[in-house]
Amino acid sequence: MGPEHLILFVILAALTLYAIFGGADFGGGIWEFNTAFHSSDKERHLIQAAIGPVWEANHVWLLFVLMLMTNAFPSAWAAISQALFVPLLLALVGIVFRGAAFAFRAYAVGAVSQQRLWGTVFALASTMAPFFLGASVGAIASGRLELTADGRFTGDFLVGWISPLSIFTAFFAVGMSAYLAAFFLTREAMQIDDDELRDVWRQRSLATGMWMGILALVGLVFVGLEAPSLREGFFTRGWPMVGISALAGVVSLIAMWRGKVDIAVIGAATTVGAVTCGWGLSQFPFIVPPSITEDLAKAPANVLWWMVGSTAVGISIVAPSIAYLLLLFKRSSREPGSK
Amino acid sequence: MLENLFYARMQMAFTLGFHIVFACLGVGLPVLLLFAEWRFLRTQDELWRTLARRWSKAFAVLFAVGAVSGTVLSFELGLLWPEFMGRFGAVIGLPFTLEGFAFFIEAIFAGIYLYGWDKLSPRVHWLSGFPIAVAGFASAWFVVTANAWMNVPQGFRLEDGQVVEADPIAAMLNPATAMQTTHMIVAAYMVTGFLVAAFYAALRLRGDNSLYNRRAMSLGLWLGVFFTPVQFVVGDWAAHVVAQSQPIKLAAMEGQFETVRGAPLRIGGIPNESTGQTHYAIEIPRLLSWLAYGDLEAEVKGLNSFPKENRPPVLVVHLAFQAMVGAGTLLLALSAWTVGVWLRHRRLPSGRPFLISLIVSGPLVVLALEAGWVVTEVGRQPWIVQGVMRTKEAVTRAPGIGGIFAVTMAIYVILALGTIAVLQLLARVPVEAETDGA
Repeated sequence: MGPEHLILFVILAALTLYAIFGGADFGGGIWEFNTAFHSSDKERHLIQAAIGPVWEANHVWLLFVLMLMTNAFPSAWAAISQALFVPLLLALVGIVFRGAAFAFRAYAVGAVSQQRLWGTVFALASTMAPFFLGASVGAIASGRLELTADGRFTGDFLVGWISPLSIFTAFFAVGMSAYLAAFFLTREAMQIDDDELRDVWRQRSLATGMWMGILALVGLVFVGLEAPSLREGFFTRGWPMVGISALAGVVSLIAMWRGKVDIAVIGAATTVGAVTCGWGLSQFPFIVPPSITEDLAKAPANVLWWMVGSTAVGISIVAPSIAYLLLLFKRSSREPGSK
Repeated sequence: MLENLFYARMQMAFTLGFHIVFACLGVGLPVLLLFAEWRFLRTQDELWRTLARRWSKAFAVLFAVGAVSGTVLSFELGLLWPEFMGRFGAVIGLPFTLEGFAFFIEAIFAGIYLYGWDKLSPRVHWLSGFPIAVAGFASAWFVVTANAWMNVPQGFRLEDGQVVEADPIAAMLNPATAMQTTHMIVAAYMVTGFLVAAFYAALRLRGDNSLYNRRAMSLGLWLGVFFTPVQFVVGDWAAHVVAQSQPIKLAAMEGQFETVRGAPLRIGGIPNESTGQTHYAIEIPRLLSWLAYGDLEAEVKGLNSFPKENRPPVLVVHLAFQAMVGAGTLLLALSAWTVGVWLRHRRLPSGRPFLISLIVSGPLVVLALEAGWVVTEVGRQPWIVQGVMRTKEAVTRAPGIGGIFAVTMAIYVILALGTIAVLQLLARVPVEAETDGA
């Protein structure tokens, strides 16, 4: 195993964490979007309070993936930047407005019309970002991007990324985010001892969970039909993750049904995490199937070792910091000292 | 292709020019926050705490806009300049990776600091601000390191245009790194200091003479006053480094067309590329040779010594350089004024002329910042990596870059308006009413 595999592992881990934490943040906004006409101030406040302290940190996972890709697999990233020019730009618009609108709304104290405006922008942008990030993932996974092995893009910039799979994954990413957020928000509602909100979010968790289960099955069919290289990977390497995801999904629903919210949240996070990991494992050794492999795209070995070293040092600082952040704001309600 | 090059450069310039203001505040404001909160811990004077608390909200908004506009830039490197990132990502990606970690620390502790006012003890809360300031400093250092490398590339070997060997540490520690990173970080503190001072000077001119206002203004002012003379020393250093490593950029900055011994320093003036002369400048004999090489008779290379296709746009670079130095000089005068009055009377100057000068210092410091980036970026053209890769070789082939630039401008105008509107709302909250958490 070379240093490029260690970096790939870190990239996949970071993507997985982004799918879980970034996804849950996006999900909060997606729910605002979908419940815009009948959601109370109380609901909005819950979402705001849940996301507030953590969204900046959750957002860094994506940047981190980007930086690692640029550094470790530069030609692959250059290729992706060309082939996914349009969806990445659109995702970027979503990311920009999501972050800015959230901060503007949170601090536009007393200006109701401004808050309403930024709330709408926040909701739309929170839906837009995972939609186009999901589409980007699907476009890569489909193996239909017209790229040569050395990273030249020969396809169409405007529509080359659109395929049945990329459209499916766009919606799937939005759905996964909403599913996660519903579970996280049920827990948040319990922490502030609001039974009414808890029941609302519990019902939403169960409903989204069921729908996402069905959608996931459809997704497997889609991968089978549309992404031959990924299908092969599923059979050789990815299948345990598919199993874990399915199992965790069922566990999350049963636990939520029975009111074991902490277990349900862990189940939901595992479900989404396993999907991301399953995709990554199945696609290995391709960064962009069917042409660009990690081996072709990788930086010189000494560069990769420097990255491994600095990543190790970096994680040893960042990991306890994140743990502190989460402990401070997301501690279980049964422990003393939290609200 | 040429159209792509133009719009991609405009897009990069515009988004970088926008982000850099927020980035500076992201580096500088935590220092002011820490100082105000430290005063509270020392004196138990609640007003200091109120100051830190109110500023932390403004910081939250500015940090958020800085974070998203920074995200745009990191995507743009690949989206607009795929050939550049594809070829040199391995060489110069390491500072970006490290920046990723620094930004993580900033974001994590920003969350803790902003939402921890009522959850942490005052002392722990104060301590939680330090990682933000340190990581902000580190972020700036790492990112500017990558830019320094584009100016003075080293640490790699090319074969047929492909990187075959890379030494990321040598690339990071290139001859321009120490100077450029220092120049930028000092600038960040200056920008923060004078912008804060300008804001409270404006309130004071409108009649707000409260203790809160005076404290806030003097904190910002002292930060700016402290770093302005430092920046002049760093600027001198910068001239030496540029003279050594990018003589063509120095020639463009000075509007120096002929290679001569004992070159004059030009103040103002309009370089004319077709006649090869710089008109209407005040020339101080031999000073440029001395500033750049420490020798009144040293030879300074002129633009004419370089092939035409390697020269940067002289007019823009020269004017931007004049603007930066001019604005800096005015800020130095303002600093001298402040220190002079303080030494004699142990108080800050408070008259109308001083307050108006302070208000002007806000736009001036931003002008100096932006002009400085124009000098370093336009002065490197036509190269994206000096002497190694031309900007036109790096640009994307994607269609519609002009349209994207127009949309980007519209989006950024919305961001700017939103930021201003929210900051105004925050400023309007009466100081006494400051109780709720972030």
